[in-house]
Amino acid sequence: MYTFGIDIGSTTSKCVVMEDGQNIVGSSLLVGGIGTKSPELAVSQALEAAGVTWDDLSATAATGYGRNRYENADYNVSELSCHGLGAHHIFPTVRTIIDIGGQDAKVISLDEKGRMNNFLMNDKCAAGTGRFLDVMANILVVPVDEFAAYCEKSDNPAQISSTCTVFAESEVISQLANGVNMEDLIAGICSSVAVRVGNLAKRINIVPDVCMSGGVAQNAGVRNALSQSIGHPILFSPKAQLFGAIGAALYAYQKQVKK
Amino acid sequence: MNKQELLACFHEAATSPRKLMDKYLAEGRKVVLTAPVYTPEEIIHAMGMVPMGVWGADIQINEAKKYFPAFICTIMQSIVELGVKGAYDGASAIVIPSLCDSLKVIGQNWKYAVKGIPFIAMTYPQNRKPAFGHAFTKAGYEYVIKGLEDATGLKFEDEKLAESIEVYNAHNAAMRALVPALAAHAEITSAQRSDIFKSAFFMRKEEHTALVNELLAILDAEAADEGKIRIMTTGILADAPGLLEILDDNGMRIVCDDVAAESRQYRTDAPAEGESALDRLASKFCAMDNCSLLYDVEKKRVDKIVEDAKAAKAQGVLVLMTKFCDPEEFDYPLIKRACDKAQIPCVLIEIDRQMVNYEQARTAIETFKDLL
Repeated sequence: MYTFGIDIGSTTSKCVVMEDGQNIVGSSLLVGGIGTKSPELAVSQALEAAGVTWDDLSATAATGYGRNRYENADYNVSELSCHGLGAHHIFPTVRTIIDIGGQDAKVISLDEKGRMNNFLMNDKCAAGTGRFLDVMANILVVPVDEFAAYCEKSDNPAQISSTCTVFAESEVISQLANGVNMEDLIAGICSSVAVRVGNLAKRINIVPDVCMSGGVAQNAGVRNALSQSIGHPILFSPKAQLFGAIGAALYAYQKQVKK
Repeated sequence: MNKQELLACFHEAATSPRKLMDKYLAEGRKVVLTAPVYTPEEIIHAMGMVPMGVWGADIQINEAKKYFPAFICTIMQSIVELGVKGAYDGASAIVIPSLCDSLKVIGQNWKYAVKGIPFIAMTYPQNRKPAFGHAFTKAGYEYVIKGLEDATGLKFEDEKLAESIEVYNAHNAAMRALVPALAAHAEITSAQRSDIFKSAFFMRKEEHTALVNELLAILDAEAADEGKIRIMTTGILADAPGLLEILDDNGMRIVCDDVAAESRQYRTDAPAEGESALDRLASKFCAMDNCSLLYDVEKKRVDKIVEDAKAAKAQGVLVLMTKFCDPEEFDYPLIKRACDKAQIPCVLIEIDRQMVNYEQARTAIETFKDLL
């Protein structure tokens, strides 16, 4: 049985085709989320990768910020529930998931059976999200995916004291003007996101194992800083950005099995 | 009226307060605005005027920003915005109590921002239980009476206040009976429930009591509908249509509440005995408890939330946190801890008077539903 999950985020669209709620047989990830053509393109790409057609799918579920606008899915599920399901599928021992997406951050707590028992979301604020990193990457003219390499070379991460993205932008420009090197500045930026999200996570009882999901999980600079901030190692999967879509496909599978 | 007609009537009153105010003015009645929270409406009623609640509105705030810092309660800001833009024109005065720091600020700003509607301060004591707290409250009411007499030329009589107290106590009783009655009728949506509470601030209390009692009789005669997910709400406000729609979309219904603009208003009656009607009214305030805005070192409110949730068989507690509301923010960790201890799931949703997008709230509520 094939089931399909689509995660339409604020900045990316992710799709996963699963077989029998176990194996990922196709996936896609495109830049461009709600309000763009990316969701439809991501659907085509994932189906093509899996070698199946839409008619072969037994059930479909949509998640993410754009889930309610996507009319083709059988089910709409909140992204927190999906990230919980997806993360537990990849890491069966995980109890705490920290999801840093394009526009918000969330912390999800699972019980020993993988059932969600608590969650937290950040305030409506770009600080501590992928958006913060994008803004800083734009000022520094350094792609976000190169941040980790810069962090590794940093000896003395800069202090970014402003929690507001707009103020932090001015602060980074001032530090550049004062001659702070790029490595330390980028390490400071990653640390700033990590501290903010780490403090959010500390409001929930952090139980190991801990993993990250969402696009920012790819950033080793933030991941390592976050691990330091919360005092726990963080499990990482290259599929971290797909956890929401995996969870949606699993949700669709579970619903289909229950029928 | 049948049930749908009654609900339509509450909706009309809740969504068109200006229309009601114009009606009162056309009838030759004076209208006095009552800002949150626990404003002594009985005094205004006793002087033959119509008290109308002002809890702001979900609007874009522009003019009021001249008078407030950015990080302050938007309920207060929207009240001033509406005042500046003439939404309350025709009112004889506004009474603003002093139960939080933002409320203390609004009165001073009102004097400069809104011309033609005099501001009357009601200064409540923090320590309301001792005899001096009672005396302080009574002195505050006397100041309000003086202000109202100066602003309107009408006179206060204690005998009339005794009659108004009966009207208000009857309304309190009806509103208290409403909560369990609505809890037994899942077909009444969260939005309709909100309309009933909100309309109480705008309609004359005698009329509102009669309508509520009519609805109660109908509900009592109908078979109960216990469907949907049972939740309790707590916070200052719970009237945003966008938010209530999400609750309804997710098959949730409010079976009890600890909302300042809803049940907290109706928990306490003025006692039957007292030296004067004004003393009885002061005793009413002094007897109030279980509210973030009422000083209480023991924070008994927290236990009451858990007790009420259990009694109403609420499956979860929705904390509707008005942004920048210090009194509510101080209580939240205690509420969360108490709910966790009682194994009642609890989620915080941040709200304000300027929300145009409820997607984050939708995600939190949908996830909460999954968790329940």
